[in-house]
Amino acid sequence: MKRTLFILLRNPLSALGLFLVAMVVLSAVFADVIAPFPTHAGAVVDFANFNRPPEWPYIFGTDLVGRDLFSRILYAYRISLLLGVVVLVIAVPIGVTIGLVAGYLGGWTEYVLMRITDVFLSIPPLVLAMSMMGLLQPTLTNGMLAVTAMWWPWYTRLVYNLARSEKEEGYVLAAEVIGASRMHVIFREILPNCVPSIVTKMTLDLGFVILIASSLSFLGLGVQPPTPDLGSMVADGAKYLPDSWWLTVFPGLAILVAVFGFNLVGDALRDVLGGGQ
Amino acid sequence: MTALLSLDRVSKTFTQGRHEVRAVDDVSFDVRQGECLAIVGESGSGKSTIANMILGIYPPTAGTIAFKGEMLPAARTLAHRRAIQLVQQNPLSSLNPKRTVGASLRLPLDVHGLGERSARAARVGELLEEVGLPADYASRAPDALSGGQRQRVAIARALACQSDLVVLDEPTSALDVLVQARVLKLLNDLRKDRGLTYVFITHDLSVVRNIADRVAVFERGRLVELNPTETIFSDPHHPYTRRLIGAVPVVTADEVRLRDRLMENENERA
Amino acid sequence: MTAPTLLIRDLTLGFRGWAGQVDVLHGISLHIMKGERVALVGESGSGKSVTARIVLGLLQQLKTARIGGRVSFEGQDLSTLTERRRHALRGTRMSMIFQDPTSSLNPVYRIGAQFHEVLKRAEPGISQADARRKAQAALADVAIPDPARALDSYSFQLSGGMNQRVMIAMALANEPSLLIADEPGTALDVTVQAQTLSLMRDLVEKHRTSVLFISHNLGVVREFADRVYVIYKGRIVEQGRSADLFADPRHPYTRALLAAVPRITGGGIPEIDDVSDSYFAPMVVHEGCEEPGEAG
Repeated sequence: MKRTLFILLRNPLSALGLFLVAMVVLSAVFADVIAPFPTHAGAVVDFANFNRPPEWPYIFGTDLVGRDLFSRILYAYRISLLLGVVVLVIAVPIGVTIGLVAGYLGGWTEYVLMRITDVFLSIPPLVLAMSMMGLLQPTLTNGMLAVTAMWWPWYTRLVYNLARSEKEEGYVLAAEVIGASRMHVIFREILPNCVPSIVTKMTLDLGFVILIASSLSFLGLGVQPPTPDLGSMVADGAKYLPDSWWLTVFPGLAILVAVFGFNLVGDALRDVLGGGQ
Repeated sequence: MTALLSLDRVSKTFTQGRHEVRAVDDVSFDVRQGECLAIVGESGSGKSTIANMILGIYPPTAGTIAFKGEMLPAARTLAHRRAIQLVQQNPLSSLNPKRTVGASLRLPLDVHGLGERSARAARVGELLEEVGLPADYASRAPDALSGGQRQRVAIARALACQSDLVVLDEPTSALDVLVQARVLKLLNDLRKDRGLTYVFITHDLSVVRNIADRVAVFERGRLVELNPTETIFSDPHHPYTRRLIGAVPVVTADEVRLRDRLMENENERA
Repeated sequence: MTAPTLLIRDLTLGFRGWAGQVDVLHGISLHIMKGERVALVGESGSGKSVTARIVLGLLQQLKTARIGGRVSFEGQDLSTLTERRRHALRGTRMSMIFQDPTSSLNPVYRIGAQFHEVLKRAEPGISQADARRKAQAALADVAIPDPARALDSYSFQLSGGMNQRVMIAMALANEPSLLIADEPGTALDVTVQAQTLSLMRDLVEKHRTSVLFISHNLGVVREFADRVYVIYKGRIVEQGRSADLFADPRHPYTRALLAAVPRITGGGIPEIDDVSDSYFAPMVVHEGCEEPGEAG
């Protein structure tokens, strides 16, 4: 762990990534403290200060109903990260378990599980999410559900391939000869060897989940107003370009920073932990 | 002497697409209680397939394997698994890199419920000491150990089950020669002290000469010669055995003379 | 007197890592005269394979490697050559045979196409037909029964022994003056290994090729090499003619190494330390085997 951190900090790109990720996470966690106008995360109207360009105390400017953009971005990070974490917390265990079982057991189990996975993989993710949101109510919970449904198969694919190669290792044979149960072999022997790759992918995915969630919101299918969301902020502001540029540029930059940061860290982790895909 | 393990007309056929490969062809032999039986052959001889059938990784296509007079089923019970243990060739792969040495050694104790739960940690330390390693190595990861030390851990794991029969699959061929000598010595001592029975699978005849009581020579899935080690090296019956001995790279003049004598016989017979 | 094919003088190598520098070679010297077969024998981690890589010029461009001392090939100091010139030497004036022949050959090209590439290294304009003719002759030299068929095959269609012969033929096709063989045949069966070694021995004798033979297997070394250097933890501990060294090993490490090899004449398994301070005793040089330019 210490060694990993040391190597990450030595490389300028991954150090930048760590810095960006730290910034995003800290702003999300301490939004209440940092935000100059915490109440602006909700439905507040302040027509006296509407549509102001960046100036003190509104360092990113204000939106069309006079809310501080900087405060709203901090809270949007909180929602995005929460969304990302919840999606991964649900999708990863499901995907990983299916991948491990299919990869280790082989035979019919493998065939059935992997064909189901292929079906999910063959649907374009955004289309799946959009149709789900069309059928259900476009709420935050349903948004998470939709994103989760399209996320687990990627972990199945990843872990399935890893498990198939780990299965050939001597330590698996050793455990089988001793008489260890399948559960033990799958979760205690094979899984720990897949963890570096899974962690790497999760880091990369946090960025992508934020991006996908923003895309959904941009289309009006994600987080609903007045809850702040980076995607809907960009969408709303786009109508007022180029005059009110701050409405789109700052939320856009915020998305960029988060996705870029998680990607840099993910790439660096892949190199350090040796979890290639 | 009684047979601990008997293979009776055992065959194994693998199907690869439309091809059928007969890896082991109608093989019968006994492994006697307390002996070290070497199974010698080159690639494609079927020696690994025989090891895998003894271990129950897959069943024979035809024939039977009996252990202590009792037929071994295709689906082995826990008791069967406990009775026959394995030491693999490459200790780098046979120990899980993500688990400590102690966790790897504890697995057989937990699976077979050996000893009181609370006493198992101490038992792991004992096992390490029995193979000449300090007990506190239990907390180490395998990659903090040298190749020889890892192989000692793998041997300790095989001992943990207190089984009668250990299959040694090329246990020293991945090791340097000095380390090999020490690991062979350990294996020899353990066998004498505990009355273990070994099935020693190898391609290295010079190792066989110094550790085995009897030698079974395999060529293309068939058992071509099974004799006491002395006989194999002084008066080998099968031409393939003579060819194998003739190809061993040797280091002393005595060995060269032995090799030349065997090859001369070969030419005379030819 | 002509310059030795290969002359290594006081070669040192260290790798800079995140925990400081790790020294791998502590000043080794060796030489190979024209047509000589010289073995560098040692255990894993002794530094024998990195020595081969330095001679081939493969470690020089590595940023973390610190190389000291001198390596001369046919009288030419390798460190004065550009990376391009060093690259031009590989596969033409010096070539290499690796441990596992099957993985050293590319499975998606036919043997003939790979042979053509090898011949192009020395003669860029060589025609398809000329290359094929030369390749057939080279394969016939390594006793491959049907060279034409072998050239039309892929490496996975041939046995390990056949692939090893193809590798030998390719390595010698451009008539190199130095052949570096790193644990050749270790991945092969003993009977096949014995055949390919004697074949290789005959061929290099015929072409008067110098050989640097890297191995951990003392038996193989005894049967192949004229002269032997024993390397232990980055230091040469003993050097001499094969016959002398095997009949009369003098350094404690060489003695231990030899004693540890199980004998087909029996005698049990010896009790030997795998580490000992005596293994760091000063180098032993057998009579007439001093490095050129040193007192002798």
